Amino acid sequence: MKWINVKENRSGFQFLLKSFFFVAGLFVFDYSIGSLLKYLYFKQNSGPLYEITYSIDSTKADLLIIGSSTAHHDYHPSPFQNRLGVSYYNTSNDGTSLLYHYAVLKSILKRYSPKIVILGFDIGEFKSDQKSYDRLSALLPYYQNHSELRPIIELRSEFEKIKLLSKIYPFNSTIFSVFIRNPYFTGYNLKRKADDNGYVPLNRFDNEPMEIDVPDLKFDPDSNKIDFFKSFIKDCKLSNVDLYIVISPRFIKYPVKDPSVELAKEISDRYNVPFYNYSRDTLFLKHNEYFADRVHLNDNGAKVFSNMIIDRILQNEQKNSVSKKNSWSADSDKK
Amino acid sequence: MLFTSIIYFLFLVSSLVGYYLLPPRYRNYYLIIVSALFYMYVKPSYLILIIFIIVTNYWIGIQIEKSNRKQKSGFLYLSLFINLGILIFFKYWNFLIENLFQLVGLLGVSNTNSPPFLDIVLPIGLSYYIFQIIGYNIDINRGTIKAETNIFDFSLFVLFFPKLMVGPIERANHFLPQLKKRILFKKENIVEGGKRIVWGLFKKLVVADRISIYHDAVMSTVNQQSGATILFASVLYTFQVYADFSGYTDIALGTARMFGYDLMENFKRPLLAKNVGDFWRRWHISLSSWVSDYIFNPIAFKRRDWGNFGVFYALIISFVVIGIWHGATWNYVLFGIVQALALIYETLTRRARKNIAKKVNTVLYRDISIVLTFTFITFSLIIFQSATFSDALNIMKAMFSNHGKFFFDDPPQLTFMLIGCVMLILCDIQEEFRIFNFSLFSNKNWMIQQIAFSLLLVYILIAGVFDGGEFIYFAF
Repeated sequence: MKWINVKENRSGFQFLLKSFFFVAGLFVFDYSIGSLLKYLYFKQNSGPLYEITYSIDSTKADLLIIGSSTAHHDYHPSPFQNRLGVSYYNTSNDGTSLLYHYAVLKSILKRYSPKIVILGFDIGEFKSDQKSYDRLSALLPYYQNHSELRPIIELRSEFEKIKLLSKIYPFNSTIFSVFIRNPYFTGYNLKRKADDNGYVPLNRFDNEPMEIDVPDLKFDPDSNKIDFFKSFIKDCKLSNVDLYIVISPRFIKYPVKDPSVELAKEISDRYNVPFYNYSRDTLFLKHNEYFADRVHLNDNGAKVFSNMIIDRILQNEQKNSVSKKNSWSADSDKK
Repeated sequence: MLFTSIIYFLFLVSSLVGYYLLPPRYRNYYLIIVSALFYMYVKPSYLILIIFIIVTNYWIGIQIEKSNRKQKSGFLYLSLFINLGILIFFKYWNFLIENLFQLVGLLGVSNTNSPPFLDIVLPIGLSYYIFQIIGYNIDINRGTIKAETNIFDFSLFVLFFPKLMVGPIERANHFLPQLKKRILFKKENIVEGGKRIVWGLFKKLVVADRISIYHDAVMSTVNQQSGATILFASVLYTFQVYADFSGYTDIALGTARMFGYDLMENFKRPLLAKNVGDFWRRWHISLSSWVSDYIFNPIAFKRRDWGNFGVFYALIISFVVIGIWHGATWNYVLFGIVQALALIYETLTRRARKNIAKKVNTVLYRDISIVLTFTFITFSLIIFQSATFSDALNIMKAMFSNHGKFFFDDPPQLTFMLIGCVMLILCDIQEEFRIFNFSLFSNKNWMIQQIAFSLLLVYILIAGVFDGGEFIYFAF
């Protein structure tokens, strides 16, 4: 072993010892700060991070909205509570995709079966997009305690398991939110408003002219998203959940059909699940006063849209009860 | 393979272990294989191109040295033809063809054919290693270095993976002699290299990528943002580009150090430059010094009869090259011209500025100079970051005319960004002016130093952006 510097070799032990201390120190810092962040994270009682925890761990609402920012802002709770007489919770999270939505559904179905689930489907939802995987970071704090979420979270990258050896990593970028939303530190209790139920109203008004958008015709679908969409439908069916798949209104004109929407419609029809596309709805295309921006409804628009969806749900329930009645009478005739 | 990815660190550790387990005489061969694998990870077919470039330039280098004066020039031109030809083909073909067709259209010649655009991807690092090789051949032609006769050393000179993708653009007289030395395992190389990598990760993940989230949000909706917001995002962009590129360079230099090699420094606290000339002596030094040695000086020397105009002419040509080196669009050319004009202004006002400096408090003059230079760089980077010249104009117009609320959607995000920028600039200020006697990261007490670096790593885990985030300079 001539090539190993003998002089340096003498201090090799010291080097190894120092390296060991460095790694040990790093481990201690990571473990203690990570544990503190975890404790504080789950002690929050308001804000978007708390809403994720509430959606995954606590909600028992009869009607759930699952989706991205469009679903987050477009479904007003009061019409659902008043007209359908059900409890409502909006689990939607901005910037998320079907990967996240399916993860939320899985953890909810593990606890209970809601009566109705409305899945907000977005234009171009099936497109391959790294951001959809990146946004699964919102689920990292739940990796340890939610085995059902692990396979989905691990889709983020092939090295996600290695990254998750760190105790701090799952709480990356949350430190300030965790402190701000924590009554221990802020000194006052920013309690979630009782009537919010996860819904975030937008009170601005869009005065921008209508946009014409041609979706990317090169359709490069993400097979995970398509599989999750199918699994979403199947899991709801298995748990006897009435599923409605809805595309929210937009103040954008689409001259050509979106391949993701076409495929989602085809799959929904195959499974006999109601699929409502409001992205071309003329009522909304004529009324920009219903919009906060081109893709999100404001509070007023959310009320109008929610009532339209409730009409659809009531119609559907009526249709189902008639068909059940007919099949019952047909059965009794046979007898 | 991103320098901030887990796979890179697995690759680095396994390569290092193999490297130091081998006898020194085999280590360079091993590094060639490792570097080739690294490049192949991006796209295996790139390796064919780089092997062609290595073999032809190895031969040309020897021919330049062996030949008489007339033949030397011939071989040098051959080298320029091959290397620039490859660069133009991959990087500038579509730009040239598009502009040629536009010119033909402007001249009134009817042409119904569509331009023969190429749908090819620029091989990563091409601009860097082509410039490095051109410099090598020019140096042989000038007689300042000897041609490398060992093809393995020459291959490693081109292929050495830490500098392969985003530089620094190494010089033969700096790097080739290092390849002749026996590299022994030294713990200092591992420790110092490691520290440099951690600092690079901080710059990239905590500062650059964090700012990029805010900057992208503002610039993608520039017409809806207030002037103050656009100005703030533009200032942050200066920090972002600096942190991004210098962070990458730190990781490259740290990696090379771990293997026992010293790459040239690429940044010397450029945000503290006192004038534009000073800025270009501190920013992307390997490129600016390359352009200075191989373009500016020869032109300025050739045009010395023109007096100042010869220098101005050389400046404009040099900065157009620096601009277009970044990419095949007119906004980069304009970015270069703006820098050249600023340097011409500085040349013309040098005496007047010296007179002012004598009359004003030194520290005050220095600080005002730093702020003014920073402001100029920030505004010129608006051209740099825009896809087209009209986009740049639109940003500047919106900055001075848009009213409305200041955009800070996410206070924690803003806090992370500001903490990162403050830490970065404080470290640069400390290195530049030595304000404090106490230093955490270069403290003589190893315990303090270790705790400082552990906490820096912890802060990277807390505040770093781990999703995506390509290096801006990969695009060049």
